[in-house]
Amino acid sequence: MRSLMPQTPSLHWLGKQLFNRDDPAGFFDPLLEQLNPMWIRQYTPARVEAVVTETADTKTFVLRPASRWTGFEAGQHVTLGLEINGVRRHRTFSLSSTPAQWSRSGTVTLTIKRLPGGLVTNWMHDELAAGDILSLGNAFGDFRVPADDEPALYIAGGSGITPILSQLETLASRERSAPVTLLYFVRSQADIIGAERLYTLRQRWPEFALTIVTGDGPQPVHLDDSHLMAIPGLAQRRCYLCGPGGLMTLAQTLLNARGVDDERIEQTFFAPPTVAIDSQGGRVHFSKSDVRIQSTDDTALLDLAESARLSPRHGCRMGICHQCSCRKTSGTVVNRLTGQPSGPGEETIQLCISVPRGEVEIQL
Amino acid sequence: MKQLTTEQLQGLEQDLDAIRNDVLADLGERDARYIRRIVRLHRTLEVGGRVMMPFGFIPPVFAAAVAALGLSKIIENMEIGHNVMHGQYDWMNDPALNSQTYEWDTVCTGDSWRRTHNYEHHTYTNVIGKDRDYGYALLRLSDDVSWKPAHSLQFINYILLSVFFQWGVGLHELESERLRRGEITLADKRQFLKAFLRKGGRQAFKDYLFFPLITLPVAPIVLAGNIGANLMRNLWSSTVIFCGHFTQDAETFHEQDCENETRGQWYLRQLTGSSNFTGSRWVHLLSGHLSYQIEHHVFPDLPAHRYREIAPRVQAVCERYGLHYNTGSFGKQYSTVLKRIARFSLPDSLRLRLSARAA
Repeated sequence: MRSLMPQTPSLHWLGKQLFNRDDPAGFFDPLLEQLNPMWIRQYTPARVEAVVTETADTKTFVLRPASRWTGFEAGQHVTLGLEINGVRRHRTFSLSSTPAQWSRSGTVTLTIKRLPGGLVTNWMHDELAAGDILSLGNAFGDFRVPADDEPALYIAGGSGITPILSQLETLASRERSAPVTLLYFVRSQADIIGAERLYTLRQRWPEFALTIVTGDGPQPVHLDDSHLMAIPGLAQRRCYLCGPGGLMTLAQTLLNARGVDDERIEQTFFAPPTVAIDSQGGRVHFSKSDVRIQSTDDTALLDLAESARLSPRHGCRMGICHQCSCRKTSGTVVNRLTGQPSGPGEETIQLCISVPRGEVEIQL
Repeated sequence: MKQLTTEQLQGLEQDLDAIRNDVLADLGERDARYIRRIVRLHRTLEVGGRVMMPFGFIPPVFAAAVAALGLSKIIENMEIGHNVMHGQYDWMNDPALNSQTYEWDTVCTGDSWRRTHNYEHHTYTNVIGKDRDYGYALLRLSDDVSWKPAHSLQFINYILLSVFFQWGVGLHELESERLRRGEITLADKRQFLKAFLRKGGRQAFKDYLFFPLITLPVAPIVLAGNIGANLMRNLWSSTVIFCGHFTQDAETFHEQDCENETRGQWYLRQLTGSSNFTGSRWVHLLSGHLSYQIEHHVFPDLPAHRYREIAPRVQAVCERYGLHYNTGSFGKQYSTVLKRIARFSLPDSLRLRLSARAA
């Protein structure tokens, strides 16, 4: 009955009356998660099946989502929800496995590199173990595989290889004759993520050309025009870029210079948050009303919103009553009472005591 | 109100902020585990109570079912709903425990509660004329309000308010006293009334129609049991709340007291306008830790189970500034509430003569 509830309008209505919540099926979660956490309805649960070490700072997490999870296309990402020290955190990662694996065995994988100083990736590396439960959002993103007759070029840097692994294996399993090239930039041999999968692909897929560019030391190796010169029929290829911002900008410039226009270039990457800036203020986007405003000092979000002629619900204006609590969808804010900066992810904040720091998006 | 110097007020602010910051810095796993355990307890009691109720033709089962459902409502309203809506668990980022979307198992809508309680009552605590919770515009509890003959029967009003407490709280925002005085019209309250009827209807439908009807052969038993559970919750929550601000030594304030007040002055008003009562762990849990009303009013958005831990520090701060930390046994505090209701039902001349003779 609980799984019927969201789909049957009359049951859903009844559930709302009885349990006073918009997701009535979630009412029983606290009891049922004791019996089997995969029965949770509030979010789509996924069980960690295994954790595999890829390189010194990269691990692959094999997940089994509840069967109602809606699936994905190669190259898409998902938002994970995990609870760390009592706080639910959300982060987005690319899926590194293929849709074929999901339909065959019901598992998906995420390949995640430790971010220096990053709260969530470090916690996942240190704490997450087989048997743990996390939440898995629906897949999204428009980094999609090329059409079957379309030649392609992939340029990846570091952990940017993850959505490309999924796409390459998906393409390899199809009947296609168009060539596919991968240029993969990594710091050293030991940092190659998915090495085995890539070498296997090269062996059994004749149209696939693999170039892994490694440096030998702390200096990263750079993409240059000679790499592109070596690729036959470059102008006809659909190009996919995934990696650090510097690599993607450089690749785009070089590709443009070689006559590949922007509409043939797809990019994706969830860059690590940039170092927090010292000066306060920043650009705020109130997303529901689509108002953008620039702040140059320590004005709180509530005052900023009002100066932009918005009238958010509010009360005491001193951080007591939480009338002005609101969802922040991205960016960092500083709590005026504690001086503490928030995390970069989605969370609820109090507008009257939150000062934006850098780019911030608020659901208002 | 006890007067403190500007330096003392700054010191008070710093001392209390320090306690607050210590708790904030320590929030985590333990608090999340605590509230989840309480939520589980609530679900177990509610499901248990509802399942047992149809078997209420066996008297001990009836008693157990009413107790379970009544306790479930008390815990949901006091320790979960009230505290979640204060934003005590917003930091957990769990949509089921979010202050702005939580809806509780009582007639009053969450939105109305957030306006009248979180904002009005907690910002203007005990300021006569601004804090409508002081006497609920129904009872005369201080000589700031002039006596009228109707006040002599206010003890009956108090009992009625306690019995129908959830409906009283639900209608609080209607501001019936201003309607009577003609300051506002019903048309001004259309939005509120719509929401009130919707939520009140929902609660009545659930307890007095749906659950009795699906157990038709024993419908009267289920109906009686559900009424009993609601009554149990009404009487207990009303009593706890009255002990929070209407005890003998809880102070009242005037509008000019809170004009341009600093955070230190606000803290002072919260400390002197609230009162605690002592009791076992269960008493604290069932009161939603409003037995630590002083700590709650100073730190309304800290998880309530922390109040017990920080109470000695708050009491020490009160001592440092010579402030009365108003606490006592439940029986003692409640008897002073009843006395206050009774005394102020009398005209001032009679009340003063009686208290002079008692002294």
